[in-house]
Amino acid sequence: MIQLHHVHLSYPGESTALSDVSLRISKGDFVFLTGPSGAGKSTLLKLLYADLKPTRGQVLIDGQNLAMLSKSQIPYLRRSIGVVFQDYKLLPTRTVLENVAITLEVLGWGKREIGQKVYQVLKRMGIADKVNAYPPRLSGGEQQRVALARALVNDPKILIADEPTGNLDDANKEEILSIFKEANVRGTTVVVATHDRRVIENSHRRVIRLEKGHVVEVVDEQK
Amino acid sequence: MNKNKAKGAIRPKQAREGFFGKFGYFWARALTNFKQNLFVSMVTVATITLALLLTSLFLLVYVNLQGMAEGWSEKVQITAYFDKEPTPLAAAALRTRVEAIPGTKKVRYVSQEEAVQRFRKRLKGQESLLEGITADVLPSSFEITLDRDHRDGAELDRYVKALKKVAGIGEVQYGEEWVKRFNTFMNFVRIVGAVLGTFLALAVLFIVSNTIKLTVYARKEELEVLGLVGATRFFMKAPFLIEGVLQGALGAVLSLALLTGCYYLFLNNAGNFLSVNPAAYGILFLPPAYLAAIFGGGVFLGFFGSLASLRRFITI
Ligand SMILES: Nc1ncnc2c1ncn2[C@@H]1O[C@H](COP(=O)(O)OP(=O)(O)OP(=O)(O)O)[C@@H](O)[C@H]1O
Ligand SMILES: [Mg+2]
Repeated sequence: MIQLHHVHLSYPGESTALSDVSLRISKGDFVFLTGPSGAGKSTLLKLLYADLKPTRGQVLIDGQNLAMLSKSQIPYLRRSIGVVFQDYKLLPTRTVLENVAITLEVLGWGKREIGQKVYQVLKRMGIADKVNAYPPRLSGGEQQRVALARALVNDPKILIADEPTGNLDDANKEEILSIFKEANVRGTTVVVATHDRRVIENSHRRVIRLEKGHVVEVVDEQK
Repeated sequence: MNKNKAKGAIRPKQAREGFFGKFGYFWARALTNFKQNLFVSMVTVATITLALLLTSLFLLVYVNLQGMAEGWSEKVQITAYFDKEPTPLAAAALRTRVEAIPGTKKVRYVSQEEAVQRFRKRLKGQESLLEGITADVLPSSFEITLDRDHRDGAELDRYVKALKKVAGIGEVQYGEEWVKRFNTFMNFVRIVGAVLGTFLALAVLFIVSNTIKLTVYARKEELEVLGLVGATRFFMKAPFLIEGVLQGALGAVLSLALLTGCYYLFLNNAGNFLSVNPAAYGILFLPPAYLAAIFGGGVFLGFFGSLASLRRFITI
């Protein structure tokens, strides 16, 4: 599903953020990406949804080399990848419904279908009662779920989450993780970047550890 | 690489993804944008209104000058005198030959009696001077009006040459100098108008694209999110372009309303006491084609103003 071959990435004028990263994530996998701050986790995720291009090496999603995609094809790639951003990126002046609906509007769905689908997903996330609330009025955990709902509402093939449990309490972490697991069971490939040891240890999933832009360890911890 | 053959990573297009499937959405977004940035939107509309009003006032002046020029050059006539007084039959034959020259619009025979009468009129109050003068002192003539495209320059010269070749035609008078000068002046007005119009359009395009940039800037976050969830460039741009077209159309309608108002309040009656216009039929309003062009100009400004301001923000 996801393959990286000898990927190097340096930001202009900065030192190398990723060097010689090769890895393979199969369809239906659930993988944690971990490592200290500045190791290059967010950078690696951005490569996957074509927000960045590797300086060298290749990124393949579903057999498609992203370097071969034209600019006008990138939107279609992104429609098959749901992303939960480290800073959520929710629109403060739009309701929860409108925030989640964006993913479907882009696909050209009709208003009524969007309403139904969004409501379903919000229910799955346990925040159906917040459908008309504005994000700044929500708790951190609730905002996180809205971001997740937006990423999952079109049933993406791949779910990418960057530090999704950042400042949540244990109960919330558990719930968010169970949503990931549920999506994974439905067939979505899940990649989660986190440096939360407890989350990783409790889940018994494959872990890829980055340090200073290198893959230093891959742990296959089967349940 | 063929788009359709792209592998599984690319989600196929769906049925409702055409422009019309989304038009309702774009339209709603455009209206929301307009309302949420009401002040900036109104500034844009006002800019377009002002620019179009200036342009249309200029056009109004131009159209009227043109109308006057038309009226005057209608009177440009060639007067052709005969070698010797023709008999009515000979005059008729001559007329046919003159009418055969390309460019002839109208030929009018002025008899000796008529010539004397005209002369009398001109000397009103001093009729005593005319005592003893009989009709045969003044020659009869043809007064010839030309087709529009033969009225000046080389065409006129060519026509006169042809006329002089007609046997029986003697002296030919034509081409009042000031008419030529007026035509030169009109050409000048046309050029100045085109240059000023171009500069005005560029300045307005610049202002409009910058004011629209403000509304785009206010939606930077939204555009970023749209890009990340897979919106195409067109999808992101369309609402702004529709908004631009709306603003342009609104500006055009306002400027035309103002123009009409100005016209009926002041200009319509001005002709009567300014008496620049010999016919004293007042000042003309712009013909429909010009009004349509002004409307089109507004839409153009709005559309390209938005397009220019979007280029920097939408990089997907
Ligand atoms: N836009 C950028 N321009 C220049 N350098 C950048 C940019 N983004 C990240 N970097 C650099 O690249 C390196 C990797 O950053 P990255 O954000 O991928 O780390 P991370 O593992 O996600 O860290 P954290 O756990 O703190 O989120 C860092 O040294 C960072 O300074
Ligand atoms: Mg990060």
